[in-house]
Amino acid sequence: MAHTQEPMDDLTYKEKFIQINKEAKATWYVGALTFAVWLAGGFGLYLIVGNEWTIMRMPAWFVVGTLGSWIVAIVGVQYIIKKIFKNFSLDENKEEDK
Amino acid sequence: MSDAILRLIPIFIFFIFMIYISVRQHIISARAKSENFSKEYYIGGRSMGGFILAMSLVATYGSVSSFLSGSGKAWETGFGWVYYASANVVAAFLVLGILGKKMALVGRRTESVTVVDVMRARYKSDLLANICALVIIIFFTTQMVSQFIGGAWLFAACTGYDYKIGLVIFAVVVVGYTVIGGFTAVAITDTACAVVMILGTLFLGYAVLDTGGGIGNIMDNITKISEQSVATGNGPDLLDPRASGMIPFELFLSQWLLCGIATIGLPQSQLRCLGYKDTQSVHKAMLLGTIVIGIMLIGIHLIGTLCRGILDNVEGSTDNVFPTVIVRDIVPVLGGLAIIGPLAAAMSTIASLLIAGSSAVVKDIYLHYKSVRNEPIEQKKVARVSFSITAIMGIFAFVIAINPPDLIVWINMFAFGGLQTVFFWTMIFGFFWYKANRVGALCSVIGGLSTYCVTMALNIKIDEFHNIIIGLGVALILFIIGNKFGEGMDEKTAKIFFPERF
Repeated sequence: MAHTQEPMDDLTYKEKFIQINKEAKATWYVGALTFAVWLAGGFGLYLIVGNEWTIMRMPAWFVVGTLGSWIVAIVGVQYIIKKIFKNFSLDENKEEDK
Repeated sequence: MSDAILRLIPIFIFFIFMIYISVRQHIISARAKSENFSKEYYIGGRSMGGFILAMSLVATYGSVSSFLSGSGKAWETGFGWVYYASANVVAAFLVLGILGKKMALVGRRTESVTVVDVMRARYKSDLLANICALVIIIFFTTQMVSQFIGGAWLFAACTGYDYKIGLVIFAVVVVGYTVIGGFTAVAITDTACAVVMILGTLFLGYAVLDTGGGIGNIMDNITKISEQSVATGNGPDLLDPRASGMIPFELFLSQWLLCGIATIGLPQSQLRCLGYKDTQSVHKAMLLGTIVIGIMLIGIHLIGTLCRGILDNVEGSTDNVFPTVIVRDIVPVLGGLAIIGPLAAAMSTIASLLIAGSSAVVKDIYLHYKSVRNEPIEQKKVARVSFSITAIMGIFAFVIAINPPDLIVWINMFAFGGLQTVFFWTMIFGFFWYKANRVGALCSVIGGLSTYCVTMALNIKIDEFHNIIIGLGVALILFIIGNKFGEGMDEKTAKIFFPERF
């Protein structure tokens, strides 16, 4: 089996699918979190403070809703890649698979 | 030397570079192509690394209309439009995180080279596969035409040359490098395009801030213009998320579906899941793709809004905002650099759609029927057919773009949502719903697509929501109903798509 720089798990075809189902769920969660931050940071903040708050001279609702949700998406993706996603070979690598 | 020629210099250097990449790739991959042409030409031998996967995905997704129409809308309606456009940030990681690895594993087991191959392997329906291939051919062609029009129009607006001259040069370069180099060349040139799109965005941003005397001055101007617009009733509040009602809340939610969640259903994005080499690559691409898509799509729309602080009026359509700023405020050679960004957006989208469209004809239809009839497959003949079909499709789109009939423009309105209506549920359920069967998929595809197109054509809407809600909703309901009348998968297929069940 080919090992690269990062550790690679030796999973069967079946185990890979069980793992991928967890990863897909985690991806949906990051998507939902991004939407929540977008909604609360944008419309939510605008409803509360209107245009009174500014960040870098731009409306705070815009900066938090737009740039904030983008940053949350980046951090969220980084988190699930480190904590939930696993590396494994995409080719068949266990005897029982054959 | 005239300004127009100075602006052309960086553009031509970029064009020559793209052709060079393609020819080089053609030479490098000659041996692999002689063994299995379609696998090498249409999916690049599954060799994409993380960087190229991310860049190619984002470059294909980011089109010339985001650069021109999107920024123009942001100029017109203010910060609300940038906020609206930010739903795009999920477009890279969702498709890779949800479908990426399953498609890669199943693709290798079933030797699938196209999305339709995967669909055929899952649902075992030639009718479904043919409909999907046809949908890809029609919608990809109309999308290519619109990118050709956008690219050539931009070329003409910024250089002063005739639209048709721009179109010819543009078509020769894009179709040329796609035909010669195939998928890998497209992925590498896409990457080059993405890099210049980012640089173009950053450069344009810097130029706008510099011209406007900094963000403080620009914001003062925007606030003043906005107050005047609201007082006179001549325009929207540029600092209101809904732009004084011009962007209704329902449209924001639709945008999250159309340009957010349902981008999982774009076959040109799904195809990339078949072409990467290892899991490290897909992880890296999820992160990098999300970063890059934000820089590009939030960046370009924000610059559009900030342009309002330096440009209060624009002649003709609001699509003219960037060309006006480039010609008026940026010195010519640097202006040429700024034009490459949106041109690259058009080129990368055309190239990816062209190679995928060609694979729908050659792999999904021609080679499939050859194998059904047990006819021998000669790699040299496959190569000739593939080159010819790719060239014919590219030239066809180019010819239509010279004088586009209303019909094509009209069909293109359905393309983006139409593709999602067809490929969203069929692929998600294909991989995540064990009981999903071919009858459900066929009902969903036929019913969902026709309902979407008919309601779009007749302008039948639910409140202010975009019709994608109707398309996806009907496709979902019909999938569930139709599924009750079909049979489940055979055991062999089930073990490939749902091994966790055994």
